[in-house]
Amino acid sequence: MHDAITKSKDVTLLEILDRVLDKGVIISGDVVISVADVDLIYLGLKVLLSSVETMGKLRGSPFIGPMQEAK
Amino acid sequence: MKLYLYGIIDSSDQTKESIYGLEGSDVYNIPFCDIGAVVSQISQPIQDVTEGAVLKHEAVVEKLMANFTVLPARFGTIIDGTDSQLSMIQSYYKDFTNNLARLHNKLEFGIKVIWPADKIKENIVKGLKKGKENTPELNSSRGRKFMTETFDKYKIDKAFEAKADRVIKVMDMFFSKFSAEKTLATLKTENLLLDAVYLVEKDKQDDFREAFEHIKGGHPELKYLFSGPWPAYNFVILSKQPGLLMDSQQTDLLDKVTQDQMLVGANSI
Repeated sequence: MHDAITKSKDVTLLEILDRVLDKGVIISGDVVISVADVDLIYLGLKVLLSSVETMGKLRGSPFIGPMQEAK
Repeated sequence: MKLYLYGIIDSSDQTKESIYGLEGSDVYNIPFCDIGAVVSQISQPIQDVTEGAVLKHEAVVEKLMANFTVLPARFGTIIDGTDSQLSMIQSYYKDFTNNLARLHNKLEFGIKVIWPADKIKENIVKGLKKGKENTPELNSSRGRKFMTETFDKYKIDKAFEAKADRVIKVMDMFFSKFSAEKTLATLKTENLLLDAVYLVEKDKQDDFREAFEHIKGGHPELKYLFSGPWPAYNFVILSKQPGLLMDSQQTDLLDKVTQDQMLVGANSI
């Protein structure tokens, strides 16, 4: 049971990372000092996300609400 | 003074409750006409992308989402002071207002569906073998054997993709009833049948969840991941960045699908 909860948290975090690091408004131009250089990190995450199918090993109902498990 | 940008909101008002962002700084709104950029002061550009920082960014955006329409900024966007921030909003103003109007009262939901690819392929192979049972086996050369095997593999792959399309069309039919926009990615891996994001009006979110439960109940042999509601990360379209247009374009698979095809797909997993 504990193992299932941990995996569920990991999957929730991946859903958050997939959005926060890769989507949303990207501002370009001189006024921007920086956008965090997440490319290399994200490359690793993509690999993880691709293996999200390992969730198949999880039993139980899907989670609802992006931050429920993350908090 | 460097400002960390969380997102653009459809209001020039300050948030009613206190929100604390990265480095524990106050989050506030920099108004421009009828919209605003929500920021907090930050001492330096972000060097390390930590889980805590990402979750804080998301937590702030979600708090904003409770009271405003939000265009969430990508993590780590830092702008050089209030004047630069105002200049940025001014240059993107039309894009921002168009997106805010389009995404008003809408939420994003993610759905991933995993299917047993090995089992599906096994069944396809069985079906193909059954079809060959009455065909006499010819004494074949190595070249002919190679060609036959290659063609069989091609047929299996095609049948696999066709089956995925049928199943997805059924699911999408239900989800699309209650969504305004969507992005669908199929078979990112053999097991990840569907990776979809739907934009749903707030007052239809219960219907959307119900549609999901309906699909889930109809196909208990599949694994599902339902997430949301999220701010509309996947549906912001900025005309200044054509790359984003591609990400956010709708993929409409339903147009050519008949009711019969959908029902066949629903019963044939």
